[in-house]
Amino acid sequence: MGRLIKAEFRKILTTKMWWALLIPSVALAIGWAWLGGLAFSDIAAGVGDALDDANVDIDLGTMSWASLALTRAMNFATLFPMVFGALAVASEINRRTITTSFLTAPTRASVLSAKAVVYVLWGLVYGVVVAIGATIGTAIGADAEVLPETGDWILILLSGVVACVLWTLLGMGMGALLGSPVAALLVLLLYAGLVGPVMELILTPATNYSHLAGFLPNGSANGLTGSTASDLLLREAQDLVSAGGGGIIPQDAVDGFNQFTRFAAGAPGAFSLWISGLIFLGWTAIFFGFGIYRNQTRDIT
Amino acid sequence: MQDGSGRIVVQNLSKNFGQVAAVQNLSFHVEPGSVTGFLGPNGAGKTTTLRMLLGLVRPTSGFATINGQPFGGLGNPGRVVGAVLEAQGFHPGRTARDHLRVYAAAMGVPDQRADEVLTLVGLGGAGGRSAGGFSLGMKQRLALATALLGDPQVLVLDEPANGLDPEGIAWLRTFLRAFAASGRTVLISSHLLAEVEQMIDQVVIISRGQTMYYGMLEELRSRQQSRVIVQPADPQKLAVALREAKITNIQPTPDGKLAVIGATVQQIGDIAATAGVALYGVQEERADLEQMYFGLTSGQYAGQAQQGGYATPPQGYQQQPQPPQGGYQQPSGGFPQQPPPGYAPQGYQQQPPQGYQPPPPQAQQYQQAPGTPPGGWQQQGMPPQPPSGAWGAPDHQQQQQPPAGWGVQPQGAPQQPPPGWGAPQAPQAPQAPQTPAGGWEQQQAPPPQTPADGWEQQQPPGELPAAPPPPEQEQPPGQQPGQGGNA
Repeated sequence: MGRLIKAEFRKILTTKMWWALLIPSVALAIGWAWLGGLAFSDIAAGVGDALDDANVDIDLGTMSWASLALTRAMNFATLFPMVFGALAVASEINRRTITTSFLTAPTRASVLSAKAVVYVLWGLVYGVVVAIGATIGTAIGADAEVLPETGDWILILLSGVVACVLWTLLGMGMGALLGSPVAALLVLLLYAGLVGPVMELILTPATNYSHLAGFLPNGSANGLTGSTASDLLLREAQDLVSAGGGGIIPQDAVDGFNQFTRFAAGAPGAFSLWISGLIFLGWTAIFFGFGIYRNQTRDIT
Repeated sequence: MQDGSGRIVVQNLSKNFGQVAAVQNLSFHVEPGSVTGFLGPNGAGKTTTLRMLLGLVRPTSGFATINGQPFGGLGNPGRVVGAVLEAQGFHPGRTARDHLRVYAAAMGVPDQRADEVLTLVGLGGAGGRSAGGFSLGMKQRLALATALLGDPQVLVLDEPANGLDPEGIAWLRTFLRAFAASGRTVLISSHLLAEVEQMIDQVVIISRGQTMYYGMLEELRSRQQSRVIVQPADPQKLAVALREAKITNIQPTPDGKLAVIGATVQQIGDIAATAGVALYGVQEERADLEQMYFGLTSGQYAGQAQQGGYATPPQGYQQQPQPPQGGYQQPSGGFPQQPPPGYAPQGYQQQPPQGYQPPPPQAQQYQQAPGTPPGGWQQQGMPPQPPSGAWGAPDHQQQQQPPAGWGVQPQGAPQQPPPGWGAPQAPQAPQAPQTPAGGWEQQQAPPPQTPADGWEQQQPPGELPAAPPPPEQEQPPGQQPGQGGNA
């Protein structure tokens, strides 16, 4: 297995794909976080002004609204490790290098396992780099008063890194399942970039703000970061309200607040961090499992 | 565990792709120390078979093993078997050296092995270049380098000569010979016999997914008979002398020569000397191995190709000048009857239609001829008539009833081997499966089909192949139109 892992690393490092995808993912994370930082700072300022005008002594405008910028940037940037993973097997099939890969490995499953290990590591690399990009963009774009605390910041980034790793594996499974880079990329990008998010936006209000969207692959993946940020904001709001002598926020208000922040984070209907993570892990396992099964039985002609 | 024998065994292997039976009940084995050619036309199932052997394609039934194990049981297969399957398995952006290092890592051989095999295949200077910029020949070499990376015991090559220049093919030939000579195993596929003829010992010939021949190449070679073309001063006299020496398979050629089967040049020379016949030219002709290969495999696309081959000769035949000219008809007098010195016109005048065609070697038939001319006779007398019958029939009964298309053969189709000569043409006789020739598939596991061994049937007195061969029989090329190709 160690030999095959080394071989898989060499496969990646001897071609340009890894950095050709890494550069735009970092650029996008920085840019998206920057814009998000600006936008959420404005919204925060607007909320603060509105509350001031209403003579409410709770300054919600100083909450960590910039965490939503981090979330949005991370969610968007997960598309790149997903693409990277999708090409892991599919492009080997397409370029016919899979023949030699299978001929030099004990079993097909060992090739896929070695790939899984290596692509988990590469998913981590993408996640970390994207996290750094999102951090930079957010730090530049957002007002200092809406930046989250370091611990919360890191928690959001970590959840984003986990999302990157799982997306990489899910992409790899989908690539192995479909066996064609074009098909795999088309399906994955259309779903994760367009169909999934739009569907969740429609589905959540349509089902009376149920958690249905949180069960879907994209919804659960975005829930990893989105719920982390959303829960952080809720906690801060609760603290502020408590500090202002307001006691416990009523459940209706909590639900409404959660719905609002999850929409803002791009994860409508998402469960909490852990549950979202487990659901997305399940989806990843399903696609990866099907991919491995297809790969075992595929005739390489 | 693998037994380290280097033996490849393919047993009753079949593969269906949907409704298409790509490989049907194929069996053969390849021993170490030999180069085995795996031959068949495009689409015969060669690649599918090799890929099943290498675990890339799942057999529908049967199995294939290397060293007594299926591919998946070899452990680190790269160290046991190297394969050249296609010249496309490279990432275009990866350099040749990097490509090799990837797989060197996978099979656990040191990195410098990459440079060693690059040098070995003659790509030493191109290691730093991207494989995408390689020519087909260079890609073939790189594919071979990849196969050799693990210093394997068994080499499997699928059409490795594609795209190689003559120099490369010559090199490959030498290399594979040396590889096998060191006690290792080579299985090499090709659709061209000539391409691999000089490097293989054993041959497996398949067509339409079935084994047509399996055995030593030498054995296949020894099946071809040679014939000697002599140009005597007096053909009739020589023919009589030969017959007295029990050499009876003699065919006059239209240009006044004799084609003798079953005698060596020396024998004929001695007999001619004894008989006092001067020889102006003696030439030995061997049926091309390639022709035998065509005969074994051409059932696959039977139909137009085969018919085309036969359509031509009659035309040439018709164009032949009919009236006696020059010494052309001289041999027509009929050797058995006429006195040797008898000048041709005699015989010519005796014969009702035209003394043009050479007489049958057997007196009986000859005598029958004037009254009831056997097929082909009358056509010859009437040139405008399409001589199809003249061609169809004698092919199968060449030795008994030679008249039609007999002396004409070389004339009508100078390039083509005469019917029944190079390419086996007699349709399958039903008894063929029971009497397999040495090296045949039946020795291991009787396949359902019968090899197209038309050649064998030509030697014994052939019978008219009225009945079509059994359905699953491989159909030889010489059959009638309409029977061809159940593909």
